[in-house]
Amino acid sequence: MAFGKRKHSRQFILPKLQITSMMDMFTIILIFLLFSFSTKPQTFTFDKDVKLPESTAKTDYNENIKLVLSQTCLRLEGDVVATLKNGKVTGLDPDKPKESSLYKKLKAYREEAEALESIAKRKENILFLCDKHHSFKTINNIVKTAAMAGYPNFEFAVLKK
Amino acid sequence: MSRLGQRGRKAREEVDIDLVPIMNMFLVLIPFLLMSACFFHLKIINTSVPVLSEATDDGPKKNNIKVTVIVEITKGSIELSAMSDSIENGKLDKFSTRIIKGMEEENTLNQLALSLEVIKKAYPASDTLIIIPNESVIYDTIIQTMDVARYFKGFPLFPNVVLSGKVG
Repeated sequence: MAFGKRKHSRQFILPKLQITSMMDMFTIILIFLLFSFSTKPQTFTFDKDVKLPESTAKTDYNENIKLVLSQTCLRLEGDVVATLKNGKVTGLDPDKPKESSLYKKLKAYREEAEALESIAKRKENILFLCDKHHSFKTINNIVKTAAMAGYPNFEFAVLKK
Repeated sequence: MSRLGQRGRKAREEVDIDLVPIMNMFLVLIPFLLMSACFFHLKIINTSVPVLSEATDDGPKKNNIKVTVIVEITKGSIELSAMSDSIENGKLDKFSTRIIKGMEEENTLNQLALSLEVIKKAYPASDTLIIIPNESVIYDTIIQTMDVARYFKGFPLFPNVVLSGKVG
């Protein structure tokens, strides 16, 4: 009987969800995301080994031709145009820059841009993302070739300090 | 006393904020912010490479004399000089300096910035600086030099930076 009594006196209590701790967590995430909010988020595809230099520059980047120089290769708009071996660019002869794939592709972009009626849609500059450990010797050949192809103005990508 | 105690206990029991609507709002806000989040802040430095162009000669204006500053970075030092079409070379010689790189790069760059500030004060209309790095100079050093050459302590010095290889 005693057992029966206990059985009957039991009541179903609706479990109360404790969401205070979850709220705390969400608040932290929300604040973090608010700080990293950007009006123009963009996905960049470049190698993991690209370490950009830090700078005090405050200018935002524009929609331009992307040229990425990593430790292993040179990419133009995502396509590999040259490879690097011991800091030397293979596929870009400084004596014959017009024969390089980089020059030919940039020249084609230039012609395409000039054919466009709208000046606003033209990509006039090169957004250059370069690993900070490269020497000027390596960079110089690339920028000179790009300038010869009709792109003398660069936007050197840096990370905000 | 007992009544007061009872009332206090009652009031404490009644306070129960409904957090569910706030949670719902958070659940909407978080995916939106995740989509527009930027985990690294990419900025740019506008630079150009010298190209051949037709000369445009407007003639010197009295209070608007511009000088072009040349910063040559070598392995052990930074050489600074100035040139202008409208000023005799001898007059600009006083601005030529050689900064020996010290143990700390920051001190060297500060010295460079102070020298650039002197030129800027003498010729405020000047805005162009040519950086000529040695072949062995790394990209990071070029960027740091550009930083101090463009702005120093929040004031603009030479915002137009041209990157050039040494000729000859």
